[in-house]
This record gives sequence, structure tokens and C-alpha cells, in this order.
Amino acid sequence: MKTQLIGLLLFSVIVLAGCKKENQQEIDTEYPVIDIGAVNAFPKQCDTVHRGDKFTFIAELKDNAELGSVSIDIHHNFDHHTHSTEVANCGLNPIKTPLKPFTLIRSYDIAAGLKTYSLQQEITIPADIDTGDYHFMIRLTDKEGWQTIKGLSIKII
Amino acid sequence: MSLGCTYGQTYELLINVIDTNNVPVSGANVEVSGVPSYFLTDSMGSIRLTELSSKSYEIVIQREGYEQSIRKVSIPGDNVITVVLPFKSRWLKEVIVMNDHLRTSRQEEPLNMDVVNRDFIRRNLGGSLMSTLSRLPGIKTIGIGSGQSKPLIRGLGFNRVVVVDKGVKHQGQEWGADHGLEIDQFAAGEVELIKGAASFLYGSDAIGGVINVKPPTVPEINTLGGSIDILGKTNNTQYGSSVNLYGRKERMFFDGRLTYQSYGDYRVPTDTVYVYDYAVPLDRNHLRNTAGRETDIHFNTGYLSDHFRSLIYFSNVHSHSGFFANAHGLEPRRVDAKMHDRSARDILMPSQKVNHFKVINKTGYETGGHSIEMELGFQRNFRQEYSPYVSHGYMPALYPDSMTIPENLERQFDKRVYSVNLRDQIAVDRHSLTLGINSEYQNNTISGWTFLVPAFKQTSAGIFVYDKFKLNERILMHGALRYDYGRMAMSEYVDWFPSELSDGATTSSKHAVRADNLKRTFHSMVWSLGLNYNRGNFSLKSNIGKSFRMPIAKELGANGVNYHYFSYERGDPSLSPEQSYQLDLGLAWTIEKLSVQLSPFYNYFPNYIYLNPTAQHDTNYGAGNQIFQYAQSRVVRYGGELNVKFSPLKTLNAELLGEYLYAEQLSGDKKGYTLPFSPPTSVLFNLTWMPNTGERVTNSYVSVDYRITGKQDNIVPPEKKTPGYQIFNIQAGTKLNFYGQPISVSIQGQNLFNTRYMNHTSFYRLIELPEMGRNIVLSIKVPFKITNQK
Repeated sequence: MKTQLIGLLLFSVIVLAGCKKENQQEIDTEYPVIDIGAVNAFPKQCDTVHRGDKFTFIAELKDNAELGSVSIDIHHNFDHHTHSTEVANCGLNPIKTPLKPFTLIRSYDIAAGLKTYSLQQEITIPADIDTGDYHFMIRLTDKEGWQTIKGLSIKII
Repeated sequence: MSLGCTYGQTYELLINVIDTNNVPVSGANVEVSGVPSYFLTDSMGSIRLTELSSKSYEIVIQREGYEQSIRKVSIPGDNVITVVLPFKSRWLKEVIVMNDHLRTSRQEEPLNMDVVNRDFIRRNLGGSLMSTLSRLPGIKTIGIGSGQSKPLIRGLGFNRVVVVDKGVKHQGQEWGADHGLEIDQFAAGEVELIKGAASFLYGSDAIGGVINVKPPTVPEINTLGGSIDILGKTNNTQYGSSVNLYGRKERMFFDGRLTYQSYGDYRVPTDTVYVYDYAVPLDRNHLRNTAGRETDIHFNTGYLSDHFRSLIYFSNVHSHSGFFANAHGLEPRRVDAKMHDRSARDILMPSQKVNHFKVINKTGYETGGHSIEMELGFQRNFRQEYSPYVSHGYMPALYPDSMTIPENLERQFDKRVYSVNLRDQIAVDRHSLTLGINSEYQNNTISGWTFLVPAFKQTSAGIFVYDKFKLNERILMHGALRYDYGRMAMSEYVDWFPSELSDGATTSSKHAVRADNLKRTFHSMVWSLGLNYNRGNFSLKSNIGKSFRMPIAKELGANGVNYHYFSYERGDPSLSPEQSYQLDLGLAWTIEKLSVQLSPFYNYFPNYIYLNPTAQHDTNYGAGNQIFQYAQSRVVRYGGELNVKFSPLKTLNAELLGEYLYAEQLSGDKKGYTLPFSPPTSVLFNLTWMPNTGERVTNSYVSVDYRITGKQDNIVPPEKKTPGYQIFNIQAGTKLNFYGQPISVSIQGQNLFNTRYMNHTSFYRLIELPEMGRNIVLSIKVPFKITNQK
């Protein structure tokens, strides 16, 4: 009987210890958000951009606490190796061999202390690159290191 | 006591089993004439038999490593007996002598320890050794599909857990979450699990715990026999077999084993999984491309005499298994579903092939109070990871013809390890003193078209002294001191393709130098102090000690992109050896039909090494990926396990196994966060019925496990919160006596209600893949004897 009591007591201590963390300072467990549905966001899933042209990459970014940094990666998907993170299927061109595919890797800092940020960057697509299916990857971190990824399917014509 | 009286006609008998040193012998097998079940002594070496009739019984008591003892008792005359089990003569001491220098009984161990035998493994057989052992409180796994897993002891895993196989540290590529443990569970004899820091005996890495896998016992004199294990599982249509043949004259023996297992894609209780928002339909609930095969060969031989023995163990464990095809890591993959779904058993890419070869010699010699043991080991871990070439970052769009690395070989790690252990156990008066040396040399080479960790050579050596002092019958004291030296030399690595590297002002196309030739040396001094107190039905063990871990090559020298995780992992060549201070307690009470064990611990790291996901991206070496930087921080961890066992009847057992863990980083970038892969609180309720099924059908049992696992909201980037779940498993089995040989049959129903849930510590958690659905496991073991003792 005594043992059961002690056992019970110790188990309650364990359970209580489990609750203790609720009282501690809240840690941030929320991922930042890339709002690809925002009205002015560009490109959106299945959008088309033109080689030899410039376009303005616009992303609406937000976080519950503080944004970190953002990077983009444009690479070809001529071999259909990946799909986007999005629901919509844009229809792929036939598989083809890349000759001079376009690759662009950039990262952008976000000023400290911001919870929302509208990123606007001009991107130039060279005139001599391969047209076809591309992926436009956006990677956004917050200050704590949570990262959100959006992989959009776009076409360069 | 009272129960025995209420039935009037039945009586009780308390049996205490001790060895010749007066130490209780736990886990001894007790058989009573006319009673079909068998019983095991508890941690105090006791067993209470109930419902005995007024007559004479013959009681047979046995335990591996001890001489069998047979006692006649007459009921009701006898109500308490003490049985002394003598140690087996030296050459028959099997497990005890051959495998562990310090093994006596659990009461004498300074740290919390669980020991499981082959029966436990067979009853709870999972997809791999570690998933079988994960039923134990405090033991979890990082599961990789249905056939691979790696150990987590109290939330610490990877290079913080040492796996010892046949006396030598098993060395694979422990740092990878998708790298399973290369051990054949059919070839394991006993498995000893130390929960707690044990660097003082096992050196670097034993900071979280030790899994000591012992070889099977040496066959008895003048025997020739073997066994056939057959295994089938419904979920992943797995079949397998393990065939064993052994023989021994007087001094020479052999023991060979061949294991083959083949499994298909495993099934989950859903027909669609989501890779981000992209819906991936599954073919008849199969997780595409998670099939695998395993082929293992073992051969042990040796010579045993009164004071000298030398054993050689050869083994080769080979596995080939696929990864879920629709996402490689976190990266979505478009797959040819038709090609994949043609067969649920084929292994396409991405996949991994791992071969682990070992040869170990164990030699022992005894002379006047000294017991000298030596282990010599060579092992080679050869791991290849296959994936079709995909140009990531600045890699060329097409794989160049000039490359000598095969186009599908993404990574290759080739590790060769040479080990020498030497120790002398000296019995002087009430002291049992052990002096020992462990040394190891590793040569690691790499290949493949991606880079994560440089090639390196590593030398380490440790010297220790450990004393066990028996103050009196109740108090046993431990003290240990150990010094370690380590040296690591990493080799330069240059990318095979040019990247656009920017120094801020100008951008140029260059081959990135990802690792320099780097040498580091490490020194460490660790210690441990413990006290065991046994009194009546109460026992207490306490231990405090310091442990350490040498940084691994990846932590010092990583500088590559893990494209499948969108992470650029960067080592820190200036990291210091990780240190840990741990306080362990073990409390046990055994009263009548109830036993309670509680093992709390408190652990502090002044400089825990972890991979910190930062807020930055790197466009030079990281190809635009998030920087994951190795760093050190102060960490506190505490928790414990609770084990309550209640046996109201001799045929009925109820058990509760609970575990709790809390970890927090006290400094650094992730201050306030937990550590990655922290298992949630869980409780397992078990009810086991062991009916009397006559003399030809023995050891029958029906057992239900109900596991409640709490949610895990305490996470650290890049983890996700995992909801709680409840799972039912059932186990049943029996031994059928067939021409004098016990044929074991066991059947399990895992995840009986096909519950859809996610395991927080699974490799596939981040892409939200559910765990395996209902699985019926059938396992049969048919032993045979060709000749028996003459």
C-alpha cells in the first residue's frame, strides 16, 4: 500500500513536471508565411515569363515574431524531376535535354525586427537561355530558423 | 500471503535465488514439477509461488552462466527457501565470461540497465533489432521505413549512443537520420541496454547510453544441432528465415548462421499523402519504393579450456532498401508511378546499399586472481546511396561523361575500423578492480557526386580503472577514472563542378574548396562514482559521473549542401569535446505481488553540439540554402522511467511502463528550445495471461499492449509538432514439445486497429508520412539436435 502511494506520488511529480513548461517563456514554433496568393505576388504558380526580359519578383512575407532572410532559386525542370509544392498542375512540355538552362540563385536580407515584408526584386532573364519548364523556389526563414519553402512551376518562353 | 490462506487448500512458497557471492540472481528460470508455466525471479532474485497444494514438488532453477539447481520441497512444510546457484565452471561460463568483463547481476551495476534475451526478441519481433527493443521504457528509435532503425536512449541518439557488438564498438555512419543500425537481430544473444552516461567504461560517444549486443552462448559439450527460424509479416509482405547450425566437441566449437529477409513496400492507413500541398496518391496504401532485402552470414568458432579461451566471430550484414520515392528528404520528386507500382517488391531509386563486415577475436586468460581479456576487431562499413543525377545549385545540367563516379551514386562512405581492447579484472579482498585500454583506428573515404563530410582518419585511445568495493552485504560502491586521447585528420575536398563564388565585390566561377586538410587532437578525463544499497525488498542505486564525446568529422568539417533538406550544413573546426554530467537513480521495491521500479535522471551538458538552423541563406557554398551551423550550447535534460508490475495470480501479470523526458537548451541561438528528436511522454499498459496448457504445450501466453503516446509540442526547427496517439498490439505464443524439442510459435498483431498516426522520431515525420498500419507477424523457431551429450 505504502509502495503504491509512493509510486503514485512519484508519477504525479513526473506528470506535474511535464506541465511545468507551460509556465515558461513561450518559444516560437510558427513557420513564416510566403503568401503566394497575394494579389500583387509574382510569379504565381503556372505563370509565364519571357527570356530577354525583366520581371519584378514580388513576394508578400510574414512571420508571427520576426522575419529572417529569403532566397530564390530558379532552375530547369526539363527532365520533370520534381513537382511543385502547390496543388495546381500546369501541364509540362515534353522532356528535353538542357543545352543552356537558366540558373539563378540569390538571397536577400530582410531588415531586423520586421513581421511583414513585401519583397520586390527585378530579375533579368538572359535572351540566350533555354525556354521551357522551370521551377521558381522561394525559401523564407524567420529569426528562429524556421524555414518555409514554396516551389512554383513557371514557364520561360 | 493472505491470498494463500483464503483458499484454504493452497499454499505459498517464497524462493530466493542467490549466487555464491550472496548476490541475488534475477531473471533465473524457475520450473515447478506439475506446473506447466515457468517463472522468472525478479530484480531481487525472488519469486513467490502461489496456489501450491499440500505435497512434494521438485523445483528446477536455471540461469545462463550458472549451474542448474534442483530442490525438493514439501508443502506446507517449506514456505521460504534460499537457493544458491554456483557459477558454471570456467569453460562453460558462456555469456558471462565471454562477453562482459563486469557482468554479474543487475544489482551490482551502477547504472540503470535492462537485459533482454532471445525470447523477448522473438515475442516482440519488429522490423529491426532497435524497433524490437523500443518496447522498453526509455528506448526509442528513429525509424527509416519498415526494416531499418537507429537507437534513441532517453532522447539521445546518433553518435551519443554506443552499440557494442561482441565486445567491440560497432562503427557505421551513425550521424545520418536515414542510416539504420547494421545488426542482425536473429544473431543477437542477450542484449544489455544501459540507460545513462557510461563513457568511463565505453569511452567517447557513450554519453547517452550503451546497447551491448552479445553473441549467442557457446554450445554445450558434445552437441551438434541447430535451429530454423521462419518469419512472416502481412503489412509489407515480409518473409524471412534464419538457419543456425552449431556443434562442439570438448574444446572446439562452431556456430554458423544464415539470415535472409525480403520485404515489400509497407502500407499505411491512407490512400493519399501530401508532399507540401501536392497530393500524392498511393497505390493500394503502399508507400512507394520502401521495399528492402537483408542477407546476413555469421560464423563463430573457438577453443575453450579451463583457463584459456579464444573465440573468433565473422559476420557480414548486407542490406539493400529503398526510400519513399515521392520525396527525397524534403524535396518533392515527380515519379513514374506506373513504373514504381508495377511491383511492391522492387527497389528503385532513391535507395541505399549497406554492407558491414566484421571479424572479432576475443581471448581470455585466467590466472591467480586475474582475469585478462582481449578483443581484436576489424570492421568495414561500406554504404552507398543511390539517386538519379539531378543538377542542384550550380551543378551542371547534364552529368559530365568525364566523371569517374557512377551517375547514380549520390554518396558513398567507406569506413574501416581496427580495434584493440585489453583489460584485467583483479579480485582483491572485497575489491573487484578492472584496468583496461581501448584503442581504435579508423580510415574513412568518401565518394559520390554530392559532398557532406570529408574523408578522415581517426585514432583514439583510452585507459581506465574501475573499482567495485563491497563495503558490506548491503552496500556496494563504485568508482572509475578514465583518460582518453583522440586525433583526427581530415582531408581536403574540392567540388568537381564550378560555382559562382562571390567575395562581395566580384563574382567568379570557381571550384569550391569545401574542406581543408585539418588536424585536431582531443583530451578528456572522465570519472564516475556510484553506490548500490540493497535491503530486504528495497534497493537503491545511485550514480554520478562525467562523460564525453569527441566531435565527429561532420561536426568539425561539414561544408556541403544536403539538397534534399534544403540545408547547407557547416561544421565548426574549433568545437571542443562534448561533456556531460549525469546523476542517475534507480529505486526498486518488491512487495508481495507488486514490484515498482523508478529510474529518474538529471543531465547537464556545458557544451552540447547541435546543428543550428540559422535565419541566413548562403549563395556561395550553400547554393542559396538555409545555413545550418554546428554550435555548442548549455543543455539540461531530465526525466525517467517507471515500471510497475502486478501479478495478482501466477497466470496473470499486469505491467505499466512509463517514460518522460524534458530537454532544454540554456544558451545559444536556440535558448529555450528542446533538442531535436525528443520523444514524447508515453505509457504502456500490458496485461499478460499465461495459462496452464499441459506438459507438451508450455510457456503459453497471450498479451495485450496498449500504448498511449502524448503529443509533442516541444520542438525545435525544423521539426513539426506531432499529435498524440494510442496503439494496441497483441502478442501470443507457445512452445510445443515435439520429439523433445520445443518448437516456439509466436504471433503478434501490431497496430491492431490500423490507426493512422505519426511518430515524432521517425525519419519520415517531416514529410508527414503516417506510420505502418496493421501488421500481423508470425514467427516460428524449430530447434533440432543431431547429437546430444553422451
